Amino acid sequence: MSLLHVRGLTKEFGDLTAVDDVDFDIEDGEFVSILGPSGSGKSTVLRMVAGFEEPTAGEISLDGADLVGSPPFERDVNMVFQDLALFPHLTVAENIGYGLKQSGVPAAERRERTERMLEMVRLEGYGDRTPSELSGGEQQRVALARALVNEPALVLFDEPLSSLDRKLRQHMQTELQRIQTETDTTFLYVTHDQEVALAVSDRLVVLDGGRIQQVGTVEDLYEAPESKFVADFIGDVNAVEGRVTAVEDGGVTVDAGTGEVRVPRDAAGDVDVGDAVDVCVRPFQVRVEGGERADGGDGTFWTTGVVRNRSYQGSDSLYGVETDTWGRLSAEVRADSFEIGESVTVAWDAADVHLYRREETPASEPEAA
Amino acid sequence: MAEPSGAAGEPGSDEPANRSADGTGDRMAALTSFFRERPRLRTLAVAGPPYGVLILFFAIPLLAMLVVSFQTGEIGGPWTLSNYTNFLSSETYLSVVWKTLVISVQVTAIVVVVGYALAYSIVRFSRRTTLLLLLVILPFWTSYIIRMYAWINILQSDGVLDSTLNMLGLPAVSLLYSEPAVLIGFTYVWLPLAVLPFYASLTNLDGDLIEASKDLGAGPIRTFTSVTLPMTINGVVTGVILVFIPTFGSFITPRLLGGTNNIMIGMVIENQFKSAFNWPFGAAIGMVISVVVVALLILGTRLGGGLFETGGEGA
Repeated sequence: MSLLHVRGLTKEFGDLTAVDDVDFDIEDGEFVSILGPSGSGKSTVLRMVAGFEEPTAGEISLDGADLVGSPPFERDVNMVFQDLALFPHLTVAENIGYGLKQSGVPAAERRERTERMLEMVRLEGYGDRTPSELSGGEQQRVALARALVNEPALVLFDEPLSSLDRKLRQHMQTELQRIQTETDTTFLYVTHDQEVALAVSDRLVVLDGGRIQQVGTVEDLYEAPESKFVADFIGDVNAVEGRVTAVEDGGVTVDAGTGEVRVPRDAAGDVDVGDAVDVCVRPFQVRVEGGERADGGDGTFWTTGVVRNRSYQGSDSLYGVETDTWGRLSAEVRADSFEIGESVTVAWDAADVHLYRREETPASEPEAA
Repeated sequence: MAEPSGAAGEPGSDEPANRSADGTGDRMAALTSFFRERPRLRTLAVAGPPYGVLILFFAIPLLAMLVVSFQTGEIGGPWTLSNYTNFLSSETYLSVVWKTLVISVQVTAIVVVVGYALAYSIVRFSRRTTLLLLLVILPFWTSYIIRMYAWINILQSDGVLDSTLNMLGLPAVSLLYSEPAVLIGFTYVWLPLAVLPFYASLTNLDGDLIEASKDLGAGPIRTFTSVTLPMTINGVVTGVILVFIPTFGSFITPRLLGGTNNIMIGMVIENQFKSAFNWPFGAAIGMVISVVVVALLILGTRLGGGLFETGGEGA
């Protein structure tokens, strides 16, 4: 039996269905992230697990015990809030010891466990300060210590790192992983930031519009995204419109406007002849070559275009290429290869693509950056 | 300091601007730069008038009271301490002071509890906050005296309260001219005054802190005593001051609703000035009471002050 068990979880606010029939499990000791754009219902899921919202339908159980209906102060779950919610009228030590005090732990043991927790988050000697005297990163550590000191079965995070600058955020990410391993606690982390989610999690739950899009390990989601949304949300993706012209055992033939290309069957997914599809490819898998190319050869998508912009990314650059047939594509290649305005050929292997059946109403689909 | 310079120049600028309507733009600019170069003068121009009013109508009369309280019989008489010794050695007067203190403490306690509950329910449970707040403040639109007469009507024998009780088959209480009548009157009058600071501090309270407390295992009562109340103690202290001080010096409410058994010290002072024409004695009582109230106030803010520092808005 998994530690956290969520089945058919649904939350309606009036006419709005914020969370729609969500199922997932978390195993003991895992670090799981719920990843989704703002408004996807991820925070609502978290708040239902914490007990701040009652589900409209569905079940949540922790360690086999049903949680629905029990108040937050009776759940063996602690949360790190987005704005941390440290008590400004209490010292750091009193903040951390707050939960222990509520559960009747004697003062001496409380002090001892608080001290140990301060050590764990590397804030020795900060106990007598007030939260307002600490920096943002230090406050994060106090909030984490305040949740962990109670030794809950599950710690919830409501994007607490989003207010930190990039450098500090990356540092806190590794700290989170270290502390999770040291305390052997299960973490459920909610974020809209795929970078954070990919960096810290064992598994991801991708949510959009209140529905689960995909659940899996980071590698699963990156290498075998089940939908264009997931492909686009977990790392960037180029999408080219095409039509399936033939389906055989060995592969699927797609015409994306530049001639037929055979795509291996396992990359193609579930498509039929005549389907309109998105041919998706990651920018780092796109090749850019100078000059005009005579022919594409077998198993390659290619077209010609002009380099329009370039953003420097260290050893690589992200080039925006205005293509003749597919609109603008992005390609991640060696930093100093091309000039803006240069005519180039872009190409990628059919083995690297993913095909997704096109949504019926492509016009209303928002372009994720 | 540079920011408010335009507004700060205005009070002083009226005079020359009125004298010559032409070329005011130049003059304004000149004046603005004049004040910008003299920040102290600018501060004086802004803060001066209010201080002038305070000195003229508060500090000077207070000083006059102090002087008069050391004189005998009438104003201008010989110097003496007898007004103070008479007052402080009279059991009758001291018992009135005690009674006043008891009533003031009771009123403050009732208003704080009822007012806090009211403000809390407005903030936490209602969506029509503005309307409810308006209703709370509404009685201020009617004169204090008229509202007191309305209470006489309600509380007197065979008044609204008694006849309602009669209709319900309950015995009449005829509360008028009793201590409960005074408490009811004061509670009614001061409640809105206390609700406003309570409301202000409760709306500033971050809801996440309440959730964090519950998340950490504190039930509703523990959350209230260890988070909500400490975080709003600022507003509570303000409310206590706003209620306690005017109650202590009040004379209209106890006279209209309290009858002869509920004499408060404000009534004694008023009597010395208006009926007995013993201004020096009235002034002496006034000074003693002022000292007592200020002492209580300092004590109160000291007690609350410790909480002020940590219980403020914070991070």
